[in-house]
Amino acid sequence: MTQNNTTIKICKRCILPVTFPGIKFDDQGICNYCRREESAAARASDKKEKYRKRLDQLVHDIKGKAPGYDAIMAYSGGKDSSYALKLLKERYDLRVIALTFDNHFVSPAAMENIKKITDSLGIDHICYRLPWPFIKELFALTAREDIFSAPTLLRASSICTACIGIVKSLVLKTALEMSIPLVAFGWSPGQAPIQSAILKTNSALIRQNQSALSNAFPAQIKGRMDQYLVPDAYFEKYKDRFPYNIHPLAFFHYDEEHIQNELVKLGWKAPADTDTNSSNCLLNAFANYCHLERHKFHPYVWEIANMVRQGVVNRDQGIGKIYSEQNSDMVNYAKERLDI
Amino acid sequence: MSELKDTIRAFVVENFLFGNNENLEDNTSFLDEGIIDSTGILELVSYLEEKFSITVEDDDLVPENLDSINNVTAYLQSKT
Repeated sequence: MTQNNTTIKICKRCILPVTFPGIKFDDQGICNYCRREESAAARASDKKEKYRKRLDQLVHDIKGKAPGYDAIMAYSGGKDSSYALKLLKERYDLRVIALTFDNHFVSPAAMENIKKITDSLGIDHICYRLPWPFIKELFALTAREDIFSAPTLLRASSICTACIGIVKSLVLKTALEMSIPLVAFGWSPGQAPIQSAILKTNSALIRQNQSALSNAFPAQIKGRMDQYLVPDAYFEKYKDRFPYNIHPLAFFHYDEEHIQNELVKLGWKAPADTDTNSSNCLLNAFANYCHLERHKFHPYVWEIANMVRQGVVNRDQGIGKIYSEQNSDMVNYAKERLDI
Repeated sequence: MSELKDTIRAFVVENFLFGNNENLEDNTSFLDEGIIDSTGILELVSYLEEKFSITVEDDDLVPENLDSINNVTAYLQSKT
């Protein structure tokens, strides 16, 4: 396999490369992460069923009881969050509000998809857009430096970690203010493990987690960043309102082709201007490029390797997503906008 | 107690630190150091429930119980 014009060894079962931290291969060329997951894979089907029932029960318990909405969805307009939104609306008939963080790099096609999907499903939508000078400074910083901890950067690029940190805070803040009991994400089955797919949040845990995120930023950005995080006062004031976080795609049937076909029926179109791992963001190729340059492994490889192991993406598709060169036009587009 | 700590340490190192146990002391905060985020805590909880046959209630999901090797050890001891 080639990566950055260099031939590298990858696992014969999943697609993790020899450059991935902590990896070891056995004499069959299978990595230690695949071996570790073998027993979990055998129990996966039962576990998914258990989580579907837990969500059914949770929905039964909360539905219709909140003043305005039952759920808020972190909505990027990409295929996964669009499909999760459809699931919440059509399977559970929840009163959902979708929140999009416009990071100034949302593909115009994704913006169009957001309108199509929310209109088709009859879902209220909020778009949160921060001023470009701040966003430019934030992304330029995270493109140049790895300001987050090493464990965090094993699973996502520095740019993506900063962006998703804002998204998580915005949806939680809105859920607390509007007394919404469910916060939903469209994480793929490889992005976050099933064990974390239904999480009752609490103020102490979130407060400490948020503080770690905020402290990663240098002073000139931290002050601005804190404006978008959950205010300190909320941890006491709304301590009884902390919602459940759910990411239902971890335990519902996941098939990319099926998902796209279902979404097309609602007017969604696959954007032609995004990279192989995103269906909404024009910054992603550059974020991947920066991460690959610094860490020598693709920031999506852990997620896609998980999906290959679970059989929701076949190995060749996984290789295509991870070991294709980053589109140089997209990389240059982001560089120019960020003055890098 | 030492054996319990070693078991927890091994799980954290293998699952969140990808084999690199540098700088992981018994009192290192998982959250402050970015080793585990609030979502990852659930992976830890799931492991504890399976390995030690306990049930971790929603109200127990606080940093005092889960945010370091020492905290997890003390929590497990209080449950058994």
